[in-house]
Amino acid sequence: MNSINLLNLAKIELLDPVPLSEDLALRMLASARQRLRDAEFIQNSDETRFDCAYTAIRTVADIGLHLTGFRTSTSKPGHHQTAIACLAHTLGVDETTVRVLDGLRKQRNLTDYDGDLITDAALRECLRQARAMVTRVEAVMGEHPDLKN
Amino acid sequence: MKATSQSASDLLFPLQYRGKALALLLLQPQRRLHVREIARLTGTVAGTMNKELDRLQRAGLLEKHRVGNQLQFCANPQHPVFAELSALLRKTIGLADVLALALTPLADRVTVAFVFGSIATSSETAVSDVDVIIIGAVDFGETVKLLYEAQKTLQREVNPKVFSVADWQAKMAANSSFLADVMAKPKLFLIGTQRELDQLAEPGQNRTA
Repeated sequence: MNSINLLNLAKIELLDPVPLSEDLALRMLASARQRLRDAEFIQNSDETRFDCAYTAIRTVADIGLHLTGFRTSTSKPGHHQTAIACLAHTLGVDETTVRVLDGLRKQRNLTDYDGDLITDAALRECLRQARAMVTRVEAVMGEHPDLKN
Repeated sequence: MKATSQSASDLLFPLQYRGKALALLLLQPQRRLHVREIARLTGTVAGTMNKELDRLQRAGLLEKHRVGNQLQFCANPQHPVFAELSALLRKTIGLADVLALALTPLADRVTVAFVFGSIATSSETAVSDVDVIIIGAVDFGETVKLLYEAQKTLQREVNPKVFSVADWQAKMAANSSFLADVMAKPKLFLIGTQRELDQLAEPGQNRTA
């Protein structure tokens, strides 16, 4: 992984270094999985399902940072954006996928703050990405040398 | 298929440099840019662009400001034709063309696509996002990917809202207040026209889910 980019972000205080905790990583993974399950629950409204799927993605982004020894500084604005942008470096997510994930982040902001509606297409994309992200982080954690599993 | 207004813009602004400079500066009247920035953002040569900027400034369409040892240009909103010219640019070589061009790969699968919100109603600020509705058989993800370059060109966030025809019709039928608002306000069409949009509301209209 490219740790130089992450160190630069730490220098400008967008990231804080934090020691890896297996316990915390596992709790975060459980949380991401739970959000994904909630997102798949079709009795929920589209807005709730989108929100849960987005939260699963963001939690995976936070796990990615944690696995590389960082967390976002929540005192800084845009920590969701930072965590998602770092996915290329933390979990090796390709740049085009990162752009789509960032598009979902913007959609989430529009829904939360501007009362924008969720289309079927946005929900479908968010679910697809959330599933892929949870699968990806499970694989990375399974092979992580510092996690016993 | 190219952007629908491409030929009109080529016809109205046969001088590439003039059209590009006017589109860049008049559509963001709050911004002051120096010649090299203007050349970079429009993909033109600074020397030639400088001459064109001087011409436009002498005609009163642009203002020139000296900041330190730099010359900066910006639109002159006081010019009598500023409003009309910006409207013309907005609908031709401006934003709509950039977006329509970006969406060209999807054109076969899109019934109608348009800009709504502050840009379409000309009430935008320098930081306003561009809100785009796309109705057709396309993925949210593929539109985000295609619009990414357009975001860089326009230097604005572009937020796509993607509907299948069925989803659009269902949300219209459910009297979504969001869509009622969109329908009532001005739009800039990128693919299709008001006619295609109106036809979606007619019963029995069910092509390309």
